[in-house]
Amino acid sequence: MITYIDGPEIRITPNDGIFVDAEFYHTKEKKTGLEPHRLFPRSGANRYIALLDENGDQVAVIRNADNLTPDSQKALTDALNEYYMIPRITKFLKMTEKFKIWMWTAETDKGVITFEIRNHIASVKPLYDGRVLIKDANDNRYEIPDYRQLDKNSRKMLLPKL
Amino acid sequence: MKIFSNKPFPERFQPQYDDVFRDDAPLFMVVGDLSLDQKYGESALCFTADAVYAFDGAHENGFLRVGYDEIKEAKVKRMYGNATFDVYLNEGGRKKLTRFTFAAADVADAGADFINGLIDGEDAAELLGAVENTFLKQRSFCPKCGRKLPSPDAECLNCKGKGKMIGKFAQYAKPYKKGLTVCMLLSVFTTAMSLIPPYVTGYMVDTVLPNRDRRALITMILALLGVYVLQYTVSALRTYLLRMTGDRFIIGMKKDIYERAQNLPMSFYDKTSTGSVINRINGDTAMIQNFVLRVTQDAVVQFFTLVGILVIMCCLNWKLTLFSLTPIPFVALIGRFFGKKIGPRYMRLWRRGASITTLLTDTIPGIRVIKAFTNEKAAVDKYNAYNDEWLKEDSHVAKIASVFPAFMTFLVTCGSLIIWYSGGSFVISGEKGFSVGLLVSFVSYASMFYNPVNFFANFSDTYQNTLASAEKILDILDAEPEHDFGRGNVPERIEGKIELKNVNFSFDKSKKALSNINLTIEQGDIVGIVGTTGSGKSTLINLIMRYYDDYEGEILIDGKNIRDIDMAYYRSQIGFVQQEPLMFKDTVFNNIAYGSPNAHVEQVLRAADIANAHGFISRLPEGYDTLLGERGTGLSGGERQRVSIARAVMKNPSILIFDEATAAVDSETEHLIQEAIERLIRGRTTLMIAHRLSTLRNANKIVVVDKGEIIECGSPEELLAQKGKYYKLVQIQSMGEQLQKQKAEENFE
Repeated sequence: MITYIDGPEIRITPNDGIFVDAEFYHTKEKKTGLEPHRLFPRSGANRYIALLDENGDQVAVIRNADNLTPDSQKALTDALNEYYMIPRITKFLKMTEKFKIWMWTAETDKGVITFEIRNHIASVKPLYDGRVLIKDANDNRYEIPDYRQLDKNSRKMLLPKL
Repeated sequence: MKIFSNKPFPERFQPQYDDVFRDDAPLFMVVGDLSLDQKYGESALCFTADAVYAFDGAHENGFLRVGYDEIKEAKVKRMYGNATFDVYLNEGGRKKLTRFTFAAADVADAGADFINGLIDGEDAAELLGAVENTFLKQRSFCPKCGRKLPSPDAECLNCKGKGKMIGKFAQYAKPYKKGLTVCMLLSVFTTAMSLIPPYVTGYMVDTVLPNRDRRALITMILALLGVYVLQYTVSALRTYLLRMTGDRFIIGMKKDIYERAQNLPMSFYDKTSTGSVINRINGDTAMIQNFVLRVTQDAVVQFFTLVGILVIMCCLNWKLTLFSLTPIPFVALIGRFFGKKIGPRYMRLWRRGASITTLLTDTIPGIRVIKAFTNEKAAVDKYNAYNDEWLKEDSHVAKIASVFPAFMTFLVTCGSLIIWYSGGSFVISGEKGFSVGLLVSFVSYASMFYNPVNFFANFSDTYQNTLASAEKILDILDAEPEHDFGRGNVPERIEGKIELKNVNFSFDKSKKALSNINLTIEQGDIVGIVGTTGSGKSTLINLIMRYYDDYEGEILIDGKNIRDIDMAYYRSQIGFVQQEPLMFKDTVFNNIAYGSPNAHVEQVLRAADIANAHGFISRLPEGYDTLLGERGTGLSGGERQRVSIARAVMKNPSILIFDEATAAVDSETEHLIQEAIERLIRGRTTLMIAHRLSTLRNANKIVVVDKGEIIECGSPEELLAQKGKYYKLVQIQSMGEQLQKQKAEENFE
């Protein structure tokens, strides 16, 4: 059965990078070296976060990280930020193709990156809310929060691939 | 000595590098693309014989040295969208050395294996050899031209000269060269015929009518009749010939695409929906068929008409010809602009269409589930939403596709007004050699001339639409097929000894599905593969079946690498029985004889008998002639399973693989299937994946897989004595079975 954590009934403290320690007030239980994982990494960044022990078994699920105490929330967010990396593309600088291999250069919130796209159909998934999910040839993921908000030139480059 | 590296060492850290490696160079390097604080940037790991050096801005002075004697274990921690190279120290704790995207994850893995191997006291040269292999696998560049390849063993499109799309499709027309040439000659003939009437009309206006020559008039009319009869008869013959040639061309292409689709690796189907593949084989080839028919039937005629009329018009009056050509540059420019505008739109429209097909291929075969969950309305809503999206996209296309051609036709029509004005002015001013008849002929020719111009102006729309389909088809035609490196290499027989050596595999770079698998299965062994769901059991079987080739390490059969054995022969030696056997829409007989087309009736009956299927088949009203519905409707799950076992019997394989063969049936049917399996496996190497451990009672070896690794391997007795994972699984299951038995007894009471 899934154990849900609703609000400030847990104290989360930082451990090491992607790991946190947790103290469950109700059961007085203390667990160390837990790995927080988003159950919905794409659609709900702060909701439903699973805490996994060293064997990968689920200890509890935090329903909403926003309901935690500020300290716990910070420890959890830091660990999640360390684990998850989904660069958000803000602008396309260049898209070139040679012999069916596409190289896209984009500006993201993590800096400028050039990556390889092999197949537009499989690698670029537009969603109906304007979001676009991209997976490059090395299985790295990128996201465009709303392609309609991109500048005209970026949209011009992206449009044929959607 | 050459230093292996996935990328050039970052310039930013060159001073530190020069400082550290003043006397001795590193053995190999892993250059990362992220900084430790998760920003795109550069970092590097340099491996020497006794230490690893990490270069990153976050380390003091830009680098950090960790000696192997300080390290307990090196590990690549794959996270979401990034990975880190971590070392766990002997004194406790973890040090994060560098961060990188999955682009460098494989080579970083090799680095971690190198360190761990050295710590375990393995041979350094051998470890370095393994690292070298990983680096070589990463270097996917064409050795001829140096261009990057889509994957390590892919053919270079540049060197193969396959770059040109039209060239690729033209190869399908090659066998019909003769037919096409005949058709073209007939087109030239009909075009020439069509150019005669306007000339005759001009002659009649200028000579026959003013002279009131009735005889000449009748002669001219008869001549015209003869021209028309000849023109339309030949035209009908040409149309028929072209149609047949076009159809053969397209059938040839469909056959080829289907064949390619059959030979694509499983990894292609992991990433591409079957609906989209079906759409390409049916929908897109139909699009190309229309295009081919349009090109071969209309474009050729229109082209010859265009050239012929232009020549005649120039001969009649070159000045007037120049006037009539005025709109042409505008038409060409607008056509080009239109093509650029509508091309991407057609691509989007294709995607929306493919989504609808995918939805249909998902929901129509799954109609039972939809009904069971009374989800009909949701399915209809989703279908409607997809269609609305298509309609929205199509309305954009329709707007462009309607406005532009109309505008171009308008421009072209303006050309005829120019002829009337300038030609009329010549007639009125009585210019030398310019008569009313000539003007009438010219206007007739001009109207004929604008038809082909109009055709080619609007052709861009069809061309762009076809281009979108052609690109999708090329996706299949150009996709890398399964490599059959050992084609023709057929061993006398396969005894059935299987060895897996250092096998690592991942479906994508974000997660390893199998790690460091080492396993030896002797000939005739019955091996039970157990483990929790998602532990990697089926992946292991998929590798042995050679569904995936891009794994690291080696899989050997009787000491031979399976990649070096003829693939068709190799697979023919393996009998594979799945949890949900696939039945084809055919008779029971043909379903059993699938893969053995020349099988004798009694062979099939015997196979069915061994598989405990003969009994129920003979009770069917139409026996072996019973036609099964799609996916085997008409048979129960257990019956379908026994038919699939009979199919495996027909192959007489050396190796048998059962993937949860009895998972979805009741205990009585399980008993029947189990009985059939026991008859079948005698003397054959058998691998059985099973959740119900009771089905493994004949196994002499048990392999326990957990999180992609083999954690236990040995005889059932040995593993029970070890009291590890297998022991726990047995305990849990026997407790469950006891409870079930108790419950059953209570219910009976």
